[in-house]
Amino acid sequence: MSRIDRLTERAARALARSTGRRSFLSRAGGLLVGGAGLAALPVLPVVRADGGGARVPAPNEDIEGPEGDPKSCEYWRHCAIDGFACACCGGSATACPPGSEMSPVTWVGTCRNPADGKDYLISYNDCCGKGLCGRCQCNRNEGERPDYHWVRANDINWCAGAKSQAYHCSVAIVIGQATEPQPER
Amino acid sequence: MKALALAGALVLSAAAPGRAEVPVSEDYALNCSACHGLDGAGTPGVTPTLHGLGPLLAATGGRAYLARVPGVAQAPLSDARLARLLNWVLERYSDAAPEPPYSADEIGRLRSAPLRDTRSAREALVAEIR
Repeated sequence: MSRIDRLTERAARALARSTGRRSFLSRAGGLLVGGAGLAALPVLPVVRADGGGARVPAPNEDIEGPEGDPKSCEYWRHCAIDGFACACCGGSATACPPGSEMSPVTWVGTCRNPADGKDYLISYNDCCGKGLCGRCQCNRNEGERPDYHWVRANDINWCAGAKSQAYHCSVAIVIGQATEPQPER
Repeated sequence: MKALALAGALVLSAAAPGRAEVPVSEDYALNCSACHGLDGAGTPGVTPTLHGLGPLLAATGGRAYLARVPGVAQAPLSDARLARLLNWVLERYSDAAPEPPYSADEIGRLRSAPLRDTRSAREALVAEIR
């Protein structure tokens, strides 16, 4: 079963267990109408990976040559992604879409940039707090490890570290150069 | 000149054959930063900070604990690279360089006996520190 299927099933079961339709309608109505609810909405529309306030990696984007298309699963940074590419969901390769929150825990792998032939460290932070994006579902797993090597596994819902565990999409942030492509030998 | 040759030999012996030596910061990024953050601060309530570990290192059994904790003991790194990484983390984020530094032999011995009850071990250490 794919990660998306598992996440969907888990989220649906958790929602069904914890909420009734009446309570959902009641809370949704309160959020739409009540001033307190509106005040809880994010002020800035986009959460950027600039480290400002949130515990997310600062991008290290000093890369020469053509970058490619971040809306493609073949985009070089997506070499180990498993999920929806945020560039197709209203965000970018380094920023979460409006209304979603970047998880502070994640996993880090490496990808080779064909433009300069160098390897880079890529942080695959999940964006959380909205339903599944559903666009650009990519499942490339180069250098990814089984779940028992959890810091190198991409089947994990890294939204476990965010306020909401609802998975929306994944970014691919360059955090530095790599001298040893993954998996190491 | 002799000193230079010796230094070169040391550098070569630390690197994998035919490959540049991997910076310790890269080992940190790939094996630790995903949970503890690139600044080692962790996320309150989710993952522990790596700052201020000096008292834990100094506590009875603390030195062994830090090498046996699952995230360290199970890192897919050689004993020598794991020793280098753990020494670096403690010095960089906790200003508590182990004395003497962890050696590859010590790491190999400690990680071969991983903790079976991490939480209890940590609670016992924290109780001693307090």
